[in-house]
Amino acid sequence: MSVLLDVQELQTRFQVRKGYVYAVNGVSFKLEEGETLAVVGESGCGKSVTMLSLVRLLPPAASIENGKVLLRGDDLLQIDQRQLRDVRGGQIGMIFQDPMTSLNPFINIGTQMSEPLIYHRGMSKKEALARSAELLEMVGIPDGEARLREYPHQFSGGMRQRVMIAMSMSCEPAVLIADEPTTALDVTIQAQIVELVKELRDRSGVAVIWITHDLSVVAGIADRVIVMYAGYIVEEAPVDALFEDPRHPYTVGLMGALPSLEGDTGTRLTTIGGSPPDLEDLPDFCPFHTRCPYSIDRCRTENPMLEPVADASDRGHRAACWVDIREVEVQSNGAGASS
Amino acid sequence: MTTQEITATGDIEIAEASRTNLWRDAVARLAANRLAVVAILPIVLLFFIAAFGPFLTPYDFLAQDFTARLASPSSEHWLGTDELGRDVFSRILYGARTAVSVGLVSTAISLIVGLVMGSLAGYLGGRVDMLVVWLTDMTRSMPALLLAIVINLTLKVPLEAWMEQMYLATKNGFFRQTMWVDLVLVFGALALIQWPGYARLIRGQILSIRSRNYVLAARALGMPTGRILTRYVIPNAMGPLIVAVSAGMGGAMVLESAFSFLGVGVQLPIPSWGKMISDGLRMWQTHPHLLVGPAVMMAVITVSFAWLGDGLNDALNPRQWGG
Repeated sequence: MSVLLDVQELQTRFQVRKGYVYAVNGVSFKLEEGETLAVVGESGCGKSVTMLSLVRLLPPAASIENGKVLLRGDDLLQIDQRQLRDVRGGQIGMIFQDPMTSLNPFINIGTQMSEPLIYHRGMSKKEALARSAELLEMVGIPDGEARLREYPHQFSGGMRQRVMIAMSMSCEPAVLIADEPTTALDVTIQAQIVELVKELRDRSGVAVIWITHDLSVVAGIADRVIVMYAGYIVEEAPVDALFEDPRHPYTVGLMGALPSLEGDTGTRLTTIGGSPPDLEDLPDFCPFHTRCPYSIDRCRTENPMLEPVADASDRGHRAACWVDIREVEVQSNGAGASS
Repeated sequence: MTTQEITATGDIEIAEASRTNLWRDAVARLAANRLAVVAILPIVLLFFIAAFGPFLTPYDFLAQDFTARLASPSSEHWLGTDELGRDVFSRILYGARTAVSVGLVSTAISLIVGLVMGSLAGYLGGRVDMLVVWLTDMTRSMPALLLAIVINLTLKVPLEAWMEQMYLATKNGFFRQTMWVDLVLVFGALALIQWPGYARLIRGQILSIRSRNYVLAARALGMPTGRILTRYVIPNAMGPLIVAVSAGMGGAMVLESAFSFLGVGVQLPIPSWGKMISDGLRMWQTHPHLLVGPAVMMAVITVSFAWLGDGLNDALNPRQWGG
């Protein structure tokens, strides 16, 4: 498979009154054609900012300081606004967290859905409406043609997310970025949306970047997983390798916080103590060391690079940690308890 | 109110509306507000009088009847006559035209200025934003009446001189109508007083709507900025703006009356309610009919605009849209 999206050394920071907050610190990853990549991490770890940086949809206070975003060889950080608009929606579709507020309340669904088709595909209004009706049926909204005339407030949250998915997929993008699309929905609807995206992916072959903090969703949908912490990628692995053989203490901690359907129901779920560091300076230490049960002296003075792990089952398994956590007994009662 | 009553009136309209759109919802909500519905009547009547008043009046507003000066209301002069023997009823009808034209024109001018300044400040941000906010602050810090008086005193003479020159140069009869100078100055002063309010409102609206998810989603779909502004930002900013315009129209009419009352507004012989009230006040004890007519009109219109604005606020308030 060939590389579709190649992100290199991406750095994004926010200007605040006192100086800067470093949100994304040298993130590099590749996305292959048709692949599904999950990005996990806690709130504020830079997942969303990374994805918004790819298509330069950042708020005014944020700026991309460094890096390349190569989409089939073109650097999205260098192209002009016009070309960028063609990429947005045309080649990279996005869906967002809160479907309740993601649709314009003033325009009916049909008009709203047909705008990208008219704009990117040069369709006539009539063609675009016909296509929109098909798209609605495709995402599981029956009687699409009649519903085109309705307004967003007449749709439920799950329905609106279906509409958003239909809109972002309408111009057949090569990449679909889903930024926590199920977080605001209730559990049964979440499962439906995940299934819908899987189905659309399998049918159209779109590559998907799925941002989430829900590891159970990751297991069901992803080919590969990136774990982010404090604006860094701390571990990257194929999905099976990550769940069976996590190598970064943070990933281990996340797994420990996950309830299991099997196993001993009497054990308590573990938590990761403490909170992430303030990112007002680029750290010259491992950003996780204050919360890490494995930390050694080196963690306090040097920030580890993302490197291939020892004895990996897959060459793509990389982690940023000074310690080989398989060889260490955990001293404290911290995150390692479940491993 | 019993359930039956609600079902009988409101529900049908709302059920009807939910199949259509938010504007219809708002209209249904407005129609359910009794005060607002009551207020619409005098406002519609006011606009009707403003448009057709001069055709309805029994007398010309300038026609003097020296045999019946300061006459009390009678079948001949319904609201009596003033000290020059002019029919008060006719003057009130014609005064509606002054009030409405002041309300419409000054609101239109300040709205346009406010829209441009507010959108620029809200969308461009940075230094433009700071400049606009500074300008609005500065304008708003000056008392409205003082500003109007200053404008009237400093600009009126040069403007009249300029019109005279233009007349001599072009021999165009339009420039002889010095009556227009007053109106232009009143419009200008009112617009100057009112634009900062609109500019700040629009700036705030744009700042808040710009960060809404649907704008982000539209940008993520590659929609061009102009289209996002016209289809996503402006329609969603309209609600509070409509409320402000409704209140602003009433406000402009009251302000114009206040100017005229103080002698810096519309000058004789154009009838203005404010001017009529100030003239009537001098002899209200002996001839109360001079005061009652324009004062009642003024009060009714002011209250009507306030009620309508209130009803619109309830109907268009985005906090209540939800879902």
